[in-house]
Amino acid sequence: MNSIPLSVYLVLALILFCIGLFGALTKRNAVIVLISIELMLNAVNINLVAFAKYGAKPGLTGQIFSLFTITVAAAEAAVGLAILMALYRNRKTVNVDEMDIMKR
Amino acid sequence: MQNAWLIPLLPLLSFILLLLFGKKLKEASAYAGIGATLLSLMLAAAVMLGQWGGESYKAEGVWLSIGKHAVTMGYEINPLNALMLVIVTLVSFLVHVYSKSYMRGDDRFHVFFAYLGLFTFAMLGLVLSPNLLQVYMFWELVGLGSFLLIGYYYFKPEAKAAAKKAFIMTRIGDVGLFIGIILLYWQAGSFEYDEIFKAIADGTISSDMITLIAILIFVGAVGKSGQLPLHTWLPDAMEGPTPVSALIHAATMVAAGVYLVAAMYPLFEASSAAMTTVAVVGGITAIFAASIGLMQKDIKRVLAYSTVSQLGYMMLALGSGGYTAGVFHLMTHAFFKALLFLAAGSVIHAVHTQNIEEMGGLWRKLKITAPLFLIGALSISGFPLFSGFFSKDEILMATYGDGRYGLFVLAVLAAFFTAFYMFRLFFMVFAGSPSQEHGKVGESDGPMILPMAVLGVLAVLAGYLNTPWFGTFLADYLSHGPVRFAAEGEHGPIWIPILATAVSLAGILLAYLMYGKKKLSRNWLSRSLPSLSTIVYRKYYVDEAYDATVVRGTTGFSCLWSYVDRYLVEGAVNGTVSLIQWLGKRGSYMYDGQVQRIGAVAVAGLVIILLFFAAAGGYFS
Amino acid sequence: MSHLISILVFSPLAGILALSLLSSKNERALKLAGLLGALLPMLIAVIAAASFERSASGIQLAEQVNWISYKMLKTGDAAYFSIRYEVGANGLSIVLMLLTAVISVLAAVGSWTVKRDWKSYFIFFLILELGMLGVFAAQNLFLFFIFFEITLIPMFFLIGRWGYADREKAAYSFLIYNGIGSAILLIVFVALFMRAGTLNYGELAKILSTNGYPGLGSTFRMSVLIALLVAFGIKLPIVPLHTWMLRVHVQAPPSIVMIHSGILLKIGAYGLFTFGIGFFPAEFKQLAVWIAVLGVINLLFGAFLAIVQTDLKKVLAYSSVSHMGIVLIGFAAMNEAGLKGAIFQLISHGLISALLFFLIGVLYERTGSSDLKDYSGLAGAMPVTAGVLLAGGLASLGLPGMSGFISEFLAFLGLFKVMPVIAAVGTLGIVLTAVYVLRAVLSVTFGPTRESYPVGRDMTAREKIPAFVLLGLVLVIGIYPGMLSEPLHTVLDTILLGLRG
Repeated sequence: MNSIPLSVYLVLALILFCIGLFGALTKRNAVIVLISIELMLNAVNINLVAFAKYGAKPGLTGQIFSLFTITVAAAEAAVGLAILMALYRNRKTVNVDEMDIMKR
Repeated sequence: MQNAWLIPLLPLLSFILLLLFGKKLKEASAYAGIGATLLSLMLAAAVMLGQWGGESYKAEGVWLSIGKHAVTMGYEINPLNALMLVIVTLVSFLVHVYSKSYMRGDDRFHVFFAYLGLFTFAMLGLVLSPNLLQVYMFWELVGLGSFLLIGYYYFKPEAKAAAKKAFIMTRIGDVGLFIGIILLYWQAGSFEYDEIFKAIADGTISSDMITLIAILIFVGAVGKSGQLPLHTWLPDAMEGPTPVSALIHAATMVAAGVYLVAAMYPLFEASSAAMTTVAVVGGITAIFAASIGLMQKDIKRVLAYSTVSQLGYMMLALGSGGYTAGVFHLMTHAFFKALLFLAAGSVIHAVHTQNIEEMGGLWRKLKITAPLFLIGALSISGFPLFSGFFSKDEILMATYGDGRYGLFVLAVLAAFFTAFYMFRLFFMVFAGSPSQEHGKVGESDGPMILPMAVLGVLAVLAGYLNTPWFGTFLADYLSHGPVRFAAEGEHGPIWIPILATAVSLAGILLAYLMYGKKKLSRNWLSRSLPSLSTIVYRKYYVDEAYDATVVRGTTGFSCLWSYVDRYLVEGAVNGTVSLIQWLGKRGSYMYDGQVQRIGAVAVAGLVIILLFFAAAGGYFS
Repeated sequence: MSHLISILVFSPLAGILALSLLSSKNERALKLAGLLGALLPMLIAVIAAASFERSASGIQLAEQVNWISYKMLKTGDAAYFSIRYEVGANGLSIVLMLLTAVISVLAAVGSWTVKRDWKSYFIFFLILELGMLGVFAAQNLFLFFIFFEITLIPMFFLIGRWGYADREKAAYSFLIYNGIGSAILLIVFVALFMRAGTLNYGELAKILSTNGYPGLGSTFRMSVLIALLVAFGIKLPIVPLHTWMLRVHVQAPPSIVMIHSGILLKIGAYGLFTFGIGFFPAEFKQLAVWIAVLGVINLLFGAFLAIVQTDLKKVLAYSSVSHMGIVLIGFAAMNEAGLKGAIFQLISHGLISALLFFLIGVLYERTGSSDLKDYSGLAGAMPVTAGVLLAGGLASLGLPGMSGFISEFLAFLGLFKVMPVIAAVGTLGIVLTAVYVLRAVLSVTFGPTRESYPVGRDMTAREKIPAFVLLGLVLVIGIYPGMLSEPLHTVLDTILLGLRG
């Protein structure tokens, strides 16, 4: 197990984060955008765990922190979806392009 | 002598008392002032007698420390300032008594007496000061007293303008004094007279510096004593009540400039350039103001120009090395000029006008005032055996002895002018028949007559303190002071007093012929040389010239800067504001409400920052 | 360890608490609570000043509590970066705290003319006082900055809600200018913290005075000093950064201008003195000529502009610009006389301008105008007001016997020693000051009395108290300056020691 270096985890997290970022910024469907945000959060989780195992001071802090993140992410997804539902009821669309009420 | 500090404090007490309770005391306010100055006068006389022939006395305490230097405040008694103390308290007391009657019925009677108290306090403080800083402080305070009293009739626009002008003109001079004192402090390491004199005697100050400092200090004296070119405020100051003109603008405050030069005499003596400056400014002022006095129509303005001219005389004396002559004339002038002003006040009180062309024939109506005025006029004209004769002689001799013959001629000419305009005034006011009916003209009452009578006696007798015949008491007395001056024992040629007498008699005679007998036409000058007479009548257009240059210049400069402030500075600010607004508006076009675009921009920003840090290799290192 | 200074700084909270319990309709009770809320700090300030050892040097009544501390990862283990809560007082700051407390009380009395929203007015007022006291009490840059910011917010609302017609613009320009100043300060403080590792005044001064401390090269020092000069120059203000202050002077309610002109402007000078001269004496000396020139420009620019203003408030605003020039002149002299003059000027101008703005409030309440054209012959209708106004004007033009003279004289005395030519140009300001003060004061008090004046509505007893207290202080300092100069002596000694290296 030790043969896999830290950088591999970090690259994986980086790739995951970039995919998530790309999705969050380009996809038109709000549901996909939410899923992309989850991807980014998970990239962070990987980082946390990897550093906890292979960092300068190994310990459990990172793992525990990632548990928190997962919990918060779940809550956030729930709230996000709820907002999405409310929006859909009002505007009959989940298309991000059409949601520009912040402009006004 | 240990109680000398009480002398200035008593009038201050009267000032505070009247400020607090004056409204309730009303007419009784006068007694507070009179009582305080009378006590001061008695103390001052005691101090002078105690001082006679003795050593100087000095007491002081630390007031403020600057580094290792302690700046002290205190008081000093030496022959010069003991003499001044008596003159000031005496004239102040007499003016207080006079004013009680003169100002009766005025709404702000108590305020007037409060201001008189403040002024007397400041003047006495100035005289008692043992160091230059204290002199400067009281110097400004006497200016304040003068300012308040000139502006006493606050509702008159002329009084307001005159008060403002007096304060500002004298302040211009004061700045010179201010700089001079500071420079002297860094040169001599002290404000104290004796230490300064020691530094000068030791030669620790370079001669150029001494000249610069002496001239700067003289600038202060020029402002206060109404010398050229800062003289214009003094005639305007006549807007104040007449007793004030007698006290401040004739006898005491305006003489402070002369006093200062006398007190700092070793400094001036150390620089021949400074002495020449003093003498030349004094001489030119004497003739210049005297010539203006020839043409004025306002009784008080004639006297004011005469004061300027006489102060010029004193400066001339000091500048020519005639220390005793200058101080002597200061003293005699204080008496006879105060007398003249008080008598003029009595005339104004009787006829309610200041224009001498509307007066005339008052000799028979003002049976006491008129002879007293005559005494004053004879004295100032240098009529033999009156006090002015002796002091003016001393000045002429000192000037002649100093070898500046041009100034000597000017001084003689000024003496002629003085005699002429004083008697022009006398004959126009008292001789002939009234040019206009003034209703009932009554002589003034006791409290006004009495001070005039006292001054009348002094105007005659004060001259005998220092005469070639009866001994030089004053010179001997002053020689005990800290100022060592050359003994003026040797007298000038005998023809000088004769010339002075002749000139004075000629002036009186000419005035008699023109205004008394009316043998000569009054208007020959304005007819033969209309332009010259207009120029003189308009006081050589000095006021107009100042107005056109300095006043307008300052206002214009101010306006210019106010435009700079409004358009350039504010403009730059407003420019920045609109630039930022423009940027914001531009920026807001990018913002179309699309969450994803906002996110993209944010990420781009983050990337830029990261790139920046990657290139810089970390932060803050 | 004494808690006195902490109690003093946070004592306005008691008033705030009391105010928040009162009904917002009860005008009388609110005003009274506001006044009492301001009186309490004054009482404590007097106690603090009394227990202050006048002749001892250094920080007294100090209090230190650890607040935040953390390690830097990069430097590893050794150095804890710690920010402590630390307050205390030296001779200068105790005097300024006392001045703050006194002027706040008098301004609270002057606030009687406030017409609406008394509750929030007095709450903001007391928060402002808390901030000002804190600024002078703080013993490290972090606390200084926090208290400095605390003064901005209530001030913004006080100007913007209770000011005159154009108040909102004034409030925003106040906020923006001072915000820029704060931003610069923050950067400077952070940079100092990163390099020196401490924010405490004493420790910083010690570190900065050791030669060759890593990361504190001469370029860094000079740029920090210039940044400080700009930041505090906005506050002081130095021409051409003065326009915000004019607007505040004209638009804010008079009682707030009393505080603003009396105390807040002084924070700029206090900062420049404590940080500029205290931390960087050698660099300050290099800049001294420029600071003297700036001072003379301030003095003359303010004076020339004050001559042509038609609004009494604007005359006084420009006169503040002019008088702050004297502070700069004194600083530039860098000797005992000059620095003493500058500090005297802080206190003296604080008192005089508070007095004059109080009088403007009195006049405005009666006539509804501050335009010089609308006044004439006040001496006839309101002799006491006119008399005090004249006295205040004379104090402002530096009449001996009043505090303004001492500061003017000492500042020029100091500057003449080192830069006589610049000082000689500056003395022109003495004449100009007389010109504009007399022009303004005489056109109000002298001249024919207007018939429309409310005769017999001279100052009331409530109005006389602040006016006479301020005038009395001005006179006392003017007649016996030695009283103030003793506590300042030790502060100056420390600074001058730094100057000699």
